[in-house]
Amino acid sequence: MAAEVFMTSNLASSHHTQDPDPVRWWSCTGRRGRVSRGRPLSETFSSNAGRRTGKTELLYHFLCRAVLPVDAGGLQLEVLFVDTDYSLDVLRLVGILDARLGGAGSSSRPRQPAEARVRECLSRLLVAHCNSSRQLLATLHALETRLASRPGLAFILLDSASAFYWPDRGEGGASVSKQEEKLSKCSQLLGALLRDYRISVFASCHSNQRRCSHTSSSSFSHLCRPWQRLVTHRMLCSRQEVAPAGGGPRAHVFSVHCTSSSSGSKAHKSCSFRVGDGGLEFV
Amino acid sequence: MVLLREGMCPGLDEDLLRRLRDAHVKTVEDLVSSDMEDLAQKSSASYKALIAIRRVLLAQHAAFPVCGADLYDEVLSSTAILSTGNPDLDTLLDSGVYTGEITELAGGPASGKTQVCLGVAAHVAQHLRQNVIFVDTTGGLSARRLRQMLQTQTSSHDEQMEALQRIAVHRAFDVFSLLDCLHRLGGGLRQVSASGGSVKALIVDSVSAVIAPLLGSRHQERMYMMSQVAITLKTMAKNFNIAALVTNHVTRSEEGKVQPGLGVSWTHIPRTRVLLERLSEASSRPSLRSATLIKSSRQPCLIQAKLDLQCWSCSEHNTSGEKNLDAANS
Repeated sequence: MAAEVFMTSNLASSHHTQDPDPVRWWSCTGRRGRVSRGRPLSETFSSNAGRRTGKTELLYHFLCRAVLPVDAGGLQLEVLFVDTDYSLDVLRLVGILDARLGGAGSSSRPRQPAEARVRECLSRLLVAHCNSSRQLLATLHALETRLASRPGLAFILLDSASAFYWPDRGEGGASVSKQEEKLSKCSQLLGALLRDYRISVFASCHSNQRRCSHTSSSSFSHLCRPWQRLVTHRMLCSRQEVAPAGGGPRAHVFSVHCTSSSSGSKAHKSCSFRVGDGGLEFV
Repeated sequence: MVLLREGMCPGLDEDLLRRLRDAHVKTVEDLVSSDMEDLAQKSSASYKALIAIRRVLLAQHAAFPVCGADLYDEVLSSTAILSTGNPDLDTLLDSGVYTGEITELAGGPASGKTQVCLGVAAHVAQHLRQNVIFVDTTGGLSARRLRQMLQTQTSSHDEQMEALQRIAVHRAFDVFSLLDCLHRLGGGLRQVSASGGSVKALIVDSVSAVIAPLLGSRHQERMYMMSQVAITLKTMAKNFNIAALVTNHVTRSEEGKVQPGLGVSWTHIPRTRVLLERLSEASSRPSLRSATLIKSSRQPCLIQAKLDLQCWSCSEHNTSGEKNLDAANS
């Protein structure tokens, strides 16, 4: 089963560092002068366990990295999560934050401060639920005014961009341009927000068809052209079921394949991960 | 598309509407996306007035971002876990079906989907004393079977009747009737929740029976109807804090593996998916079924459990009940 995670970012600079976390592919030219560097992957890792389909877990991973405090390995930035299909599982998110914060501190730390730290991280998260592309468009317009007064927002996570694909096609009648009109306007607006406010956008997109191979270099997208032009990095997630060699229950292997259109060469990067209580664990 | 109408917001009168229409701005989306200075010139309207109207329209139509901490508090206080009545299924689902989510049971013919739905309905109505809405699209619901299940849980005739009264059955045999039924229920639930009644479970058996027959028609229409059913179920589950349980048929993938039906687009809709199968080995207990967890955000996938359809809610296993997450976490 394959799905795509689309990622756009203001990659002002990318810089190779010795980074243990292989998924720091974005760089953020922070208004606070904080820059996180990314290292392009040069190895393929293998993994042997998984829980969900991987896309939303990947978004949770980005979200936690952004909102966690600096001493827990995060960026301490504000994030807006736009949820179009009620897929945000707040309890799962809190579980991941709890595990990451618990790991960062000493084991003798009492429980109460950990809860307060989780709430502090959650206070940097804004969640907007949209149930139609019309509402998504209005929310993005309203965001424009908000960004002017709340400059701390650095990331927008959109889960998922394809949620209104079929409702839009049904309501748009026979004309393809009318069907794609709202998503095109959303894409143009997002593009303007990216340029003017220097934020990064991560979006997930469900694939339309079952695909056998996940390593195709030309990524297929059924969304409209303005959206495809907006995307600068594509991460293709896939999942396979494997039986471990050492026996035991069958489990899922998740792998991510990233192509980037911003760099001159067609560089491909891949990695695999397992999903545990603390979110993604890269092997 | 929401057309601009007189009185929609202060300042939007008939005269301004006419001038906006002459400037090709007919809908809320048009107005919100237009450049205000440009529009003020074209429609010879006041720039300040247009800005004020735009602000009000955005406030009406945009989603208001909620702080993560407030959302967490709301989820903690409103989410409940409903036990299904079968301890093995409860363990598979991490204590039961969660409100605010869609749980799917997929299985082939005679795999026990309807029996599981009836068992859950009987348990929620009898033990948890909550109202259940059962939407039957296949004609498979039998009140006699429900009564039989309730008789194993309690011997009191009055309690059985009370529990049966808590289960509201609706029948819908095509997708339009299903959507109509769900929308009416949504309207009814708003009134019921105001008066203090509590529907906690919505069971649709089966959702694929009304969507799969659309296969012959245009693909786009089928996908559109399916997305409407999905959105309606999700919003009802979320807004009214009910646990939605739906059933689905199965198909074979290219590799020959059994998988739930309705295609790739449906796989993202349910939060939790369970595959029910008959046991392949000849068993002395023909009522036994195997349940495999194929999608979950809380448990590792592909774990299995065996369910006995004949003894769904045995009295010696009567320890399960409704838990509020607040109580579970403290």
